[in-house]
Amino acid sequence: MISLNDVSFGYDGRETLMGLTVDIAPGSFHFLTGPSGAGKTTLLKMLYLEHMPWSGKLEILGFEPAEMDEAEALALRRRIGIVFQEFRLLDHISVVENIALPLRISGRRLDDYRADVEQLIKWVGLNHRMHALPPQISAGEKQRAAIARAVVNSTDLILADEPTGNVDPEMGARILRLLIELNRLGKTVVIATHDLGLIRSTKGQVQARTLRLSEGQLSQGGSEL
Amino acid sequence: MKLPDLLRPADGPPIVPTEGWTAWITIAAAAAMGFLAVLCLAAGLAAGRLAATWHSDLAGLATLVLIADPAEMDNLTEKAVAVLSTTPGIQASRVLSAEEHAALLEPWLGENSSIEGLPAPRLIEIDLAGSGPDVPQLQARLDQSAPGAKYDDHQRWREPLFDATRALEFLAWTASVLVILTAGAMISLAAQVSLAGNAEVVRVVRLIGAADGYIARAFVARIALRGFAGGAVGAAIGTMALAAIPDFGEAAALGINLTPGNLGSIALLICVPIGTGIVALLTAWVAVRSALRHLP
Repeated sequence: MISLNDVSFGYDGRETLMGLTVDIAPGSFHFLTGPSGAGKTTLLKMLYLEHMPWSGKLEILGFEPAEMDEAEALALRRRIGIVFQEFRLLDHISVVENIALPLRISGRRLDDYRADVEQLIKWVGLNHRMHALPPQISAGEKQRAAIARAVVNSTDLILADEPTGNVDPEMGARILRLLIELNRLGKTVVIATHDLGLIRSTKGQVQARTLRLSEGQLSQGGSEL
Repeated sequence: MKLPDLLRPADGPPIVPTEGWTAWITIAAAAAMGFLAVLCLAAGLAAGRLAATWHSDLAGLATLVLIADPAEMDNLTEKAVAVLSTTPGIQASRVLSAEEHAALLEPWLGENSSIEGLPAPRLIEIDLAGSGPDVPQLQARLDQSAPGAKYDDHQRWREPLFDATRALEFLAWTASVLVILTAGAMISLAAQVSLAGNAEVVRVVRLIGAADGYIARAFVARIALRGFAGGAVGAAIGTMALAAIPDFGEAAALGINLTPGNLGSIALLICVPIGTGIVALLTAWVAVRSALRHLP
């Protein structure tokens, strides 16, 4: 699913991720932890193709981004669902339109996906807010809409960057349950977080592994913390 | 005030948010450019028509000016007409009547003035055939038969006039091109401002898999439509302004007329908005693609 072999990356000539090597199996559930500034977001950006490694070999869903042209990279990116801490919904279109956006961009027709999107909205519990604009809904509702958008395109891999960072603990737990549920449906989930409480709360619910980033180095933990 | 979104796709709302007053500014600027384009094009067309009229009308005419003692005038006039009638390149000649002479001198002598007794020259209007006569040969024959007769093919004042109208025409077309380039620059800036103002939207749709071409189409289609709409409004106002210009009266007979006529008006009303739309489309496309390459 994801394979990093001696991958390095940095900014402005300074290396921030050094010799990362890890394999993430299909259908697995991983937490990416580490202190602020450790490079969790940078690593996620590499996984959703916003950054290319300086060196080493990176494989995502069986493809090497470094070898792909723009069209191939876009096709791969559409198979990756991304959930951001700050939601990143388009404020001028409704919740349902935000959720359906990846399908529109993929060129699918409204009639073909209307039922799927409605089902997804019910699953995230936003059927009563589907026509509201993002500024009119709560942070938790925004994050649930973002999760629905991340999976609407039948994505295989879900990358979440501090998905509970902007919501209250109760809503955080609900969002985590949604991500666990997606993992049970066979999706590979990688969550970047510095919230150890969040990681502990998954105990007994999912077989999660942790990847710890510290000073640009990656260490792997087991399913237990 | 929100701009009605004429480009709302069938499968959902536009990915680019409506921009309110900046959209109206783009339309207003395109309208101003459309208005100026109509005026410049009309001026160019009018100057071209004037040059063509003067060229074709005056090129086929010449004048014989006969200065002689009044007692000899009729006799010499007959001789001069006889020479003209046997000269190749001259189709016809006609001696201007006393009334026509009086009409020509009216601006200087006033109305109802008589030219009888005045040492005024006799004028003979000549219609030329083909490229006209061999002037040196004709003048030599006139000097012999009707001394004091001077052949004038108007070239002395026709050429500068013709050159001036052609220069005017060139300036009008140059102004038209400058208006188009300015419209292009304005649309380009509007496109870049629009893109910069929506950098976060661009970033989000890129992250969910939109190609730059998809994003560019969303911006460019909207900007081109604004260019077209503004151009149409400007062209309509410009055409109405031209139609409202008072008639040039008798000067119109000389080819002086700024009104483009029915067909010309329709052509301007169609061409200017389409032209503005095409300029908007091309410049916005280039500007947006270029800006997208530089957006992180």
